[in-house]
Amino acid sequence: MIRRISLIVLLVVIFFGFLYSVIDLEAFFSTYGKDYFFANGYLETGSLNLVTGIYLDYRLFDSLFEAGILIAAVSGVTWISQHEITEKNASFMLDKQITPGLFITFSRMVYPFMLMFGIYVILFGHVSPGGGFQGGAIVATAILILYYIDSKKATSIDKILTIEKILFLTILAVGSISYFTKGTFFTNPFALSASEAVKSIYLITLNVLIGIKVSLGLVAIFTAFLKEGR
Amino acid sequence: MSPILTIIVILIGLYGLATSKNIIKSVFCVTIIEAGVILLFLNLGNLEGGSIPILGNVIENIVDPIPQALMITTIVIGSTITALALMLCIKIFHNYGSVEWKEVLGREE
Repeated sequence: MIRRISLIVLLVVIFFGFLYSVIDLEAFFSTYGKDYFFANGYLETGSLNLVTGIYLDYRLFDSLFEAGILIAAVSGVTWISQHEITEKNASFMLDKQITPGLFITFSRMVYPFMLMFGIYVILFGHVSPGGGFQGGAIVATAILILYYIDSKKATSIDKILTIEKILFLTILAVGSISYFTKGTFFTNPFALSASEAVKSIYLITLNVLIGIKVSLGLVAIFTAFLKEGR
Repeated sequence: MSPILTIIVILIGLYGLATSKNIIKSVFCVTIIEAGVILLFLNLGNLEGGSIPILGNVIENIVDPIPQALMITTIVIGSTITALALMLCIKIFHNYGSVEWKEVLGREE
């Protein structure tokens, strides 16, 4: 009982500390960054979508770390889910269940549209709401539907991990191209005066790479969970 | 007003983290804290009546795009971290036969 009361007291202290810190938020609230991106973001990155412009150009370092953490998490999940008894656990959990026929039929109807929508969101990430992360999640959902239709279509996780590592190095290489053209790392390698179509080559390439990487990572995690069913 | 609501979400997650007896519930509480942090960041960049940070239309005020760009990566990382934690839960269940904190920690190996 005394522990519960002290916990509630602690939470109340945290709450009032937070309240005290946000009470004069307006005093140091600055719109400088926002105004800068609004004025120069399109010129410097070539992206109409400022969010895409930030995570692919100004703060590509964040995206690289995100990609690295994704690789680490997927490798961790696969490593933890390794089995000593292979033949007993090699079968998928879905093999033991019978997927309803209605579900399979509707999945087959929906599958191509989901895949198309995901690819659209990836490719148009720089002019409309979307991008590699969101589109990758949609593509991963579409691929996971395939598991329900036919669980034999599963790819091995080791192959996916190899592709992920190659993709991570490719993102690093594409980000570093600008060092040879502009002299700085992790920015758009094309000149500021280039047209929007030329600049968007870089954005689309990185969006596609990140999209493939995110979707493969999520598929690998799901496959590892499926193999865990005993 | 709205940042106060997000800290309440974070505090609910902290309370659950301190009191939950099940490991899977603790993982859920971490997810709740993460949702609160995401809402807090989006709130700080929010602007009443502002438009989306996509140029091309006739727009005057945009919301701050930096928190949104940061939170995209946070959501993806959060999902993978949750998957990692749940996979650890499965391993704990296979090795200890339980996912209760008391039984797992009290067992002598």
